[in-house]
Amino acid sequence: MKKVKETRYNSKFKAIDTLLIILMILPILFGILLYIVFTPASQGIEIAGARIYFTINMPLQPLPITESQVNSWLVIVSVFFLCLYLTHGMSATHPTKRQHIVEWGIEQTKKLVSDNMGEFFDSFAPFVAAIMLLSALSSLLTLVGLYPPTSDLNVVGGWAILVFVLITYYKFKCGFFHYLKSFTEPVAFLTPLNVISEFATPVSMAFRHYGNILSGSVISVLVAAALQGLSSMIFGRLPGVLGSFPFLQIGIPAVLSVYFDIFSGLLQAFIFAMLTMLYISSGFPEDDYREKLKRKAQAAKS
Amino acid sequence: MQSSEVISVNIWQIIISICNLLILFLILKKFLYKPVQNMLAQRQGLIDKDLESAREADKAAQANKKLYEEKLKNADEEAAEIIDDAKKKAQRKSDKILSNAKDKADDIVNQAHSDAALEVKKAQAEIKHEITEVSTLLSEKILEREINKDDHRKLIDSFIEDLGDSYDGNE
Repeated sequence: MKKVKETRYNSKFKAIDTLLIILMILPILFGILLYIVFTPASQGIEIAGARIYFTINMPLQPLPITESQVNSWLVIVSVFFLCLYLTHGMSATHPTKRQHIVEWGIEQTKKLVSDNMGEFFDSFAPFVAAIMLLSALSSLLTLVGLYPPTSDLNVVGGWAILVFVLITYYKFKCGFFHYLKSFTEPVAFLTPLNVISEFATPVSMAFRHYGNILSGSVISVLVAAALQGLSSMIFGRLPGVLGSFPFLQIGIPAVLSVYFDIFSGLLQAFIFAMLTMLYISSGFPEDDYREKLKRKAQAAKS
Repeated sequence: MQSSEVISVNIWQIIISICNLLILFLILKKFLYKPVQNMLAQRQGLIDKDLESAREADKAAQANKKLYEEKLKNADEEAAEIIDDAKKKAQRKSDKILSNAKDKADDIVNQAHSDAALEVKKAQAEIKHEITEVSTLLSEKILEREINKDDHRKLIDSFIEDLGDSYDGNE
């Protein structure tokens, strides 16, 4: 046992570990560097979208490469190395500490998916985990001062459209006619409402997530500005540097940050993932699909 | 440096976002879920193998136990047989010894009996002779005459014969 440990945790193993951790943190540091280099000095109160690094000319619409795209990529690269780090040195007989964490996490996501979606959708666990990780880590980028990609409508809208495509794909599993018929249920005259609600699903999902994160940063900026004003009003008469120092900005924005950046970000990631699971599994006519499969099998037999 | 609008819709950005999510999904599937699942399957295989071998070992142990119990039972029986045999042998030997001793004792007793009888007869004969002598002498003295010795002897002998008979008969 001891010998196994010694051979497993040799200097090469540790060097690879360290390298992976550095590669995991490097994208975030790179993002911070970009932010420092490209952001001009503070212009006071400013509520704007993502900074555009450069624009590529594309048909239909020019494509601006903004902070939201770059930060998303940074998160993806970081998660990629996190995966490599977590699965490094994994063994069936001598689990490492991080392996316990990975196993627990994977068990939890699998359980969550099978509880909410049923056994048919077991393979959705990595997808749901991807939504949760990307959304949560994107929102948490605000903790290091970076622009959260989730407060860009295009990013969250893209996820919602992907989810909508998946919902429709699984509704189509029983054939086109079955799909059309599902709009006339439970009563025929509700069809227009059903169509509207079908398209409202991705819109509401996108705007809920995007709006929550954006409003968090907007409120943070407004409160910080208001605190600065209040501070200069109360302490403005103090001499010299003390007069212009925003005392009230100490501490109070941090409390807001805990709510808007950490709690709200994680909550929205969870809500988005939950809604994805629920919409996909509830739109899928599982019983009808099983019957169809059965009929097909019987037809193949005879 | 320009900033985009707070609410702006760009098709390419949406497509990039979709691709990003799909790429992360593939990364998680290939680099996190698959290795972990493989590892779990491997662990399950190991556990199954261990269980199987344990079950086999248990079976073998049970068989061995049965075998040894049987052997033990046989050994018990054998031991009992051996003891029985020994007991019987000893019995026979002791019987033999006893009967031999009895025979010998009987012989000795018989010998003693016959010796005694011989002695008695000897003594009787002696006594008879004595008595004859004495009575001859007595009657010579009493009658003061020589009687026919042969007659006399016959007389006394018949008398002693009678006496001896009655004596024998009393015995």
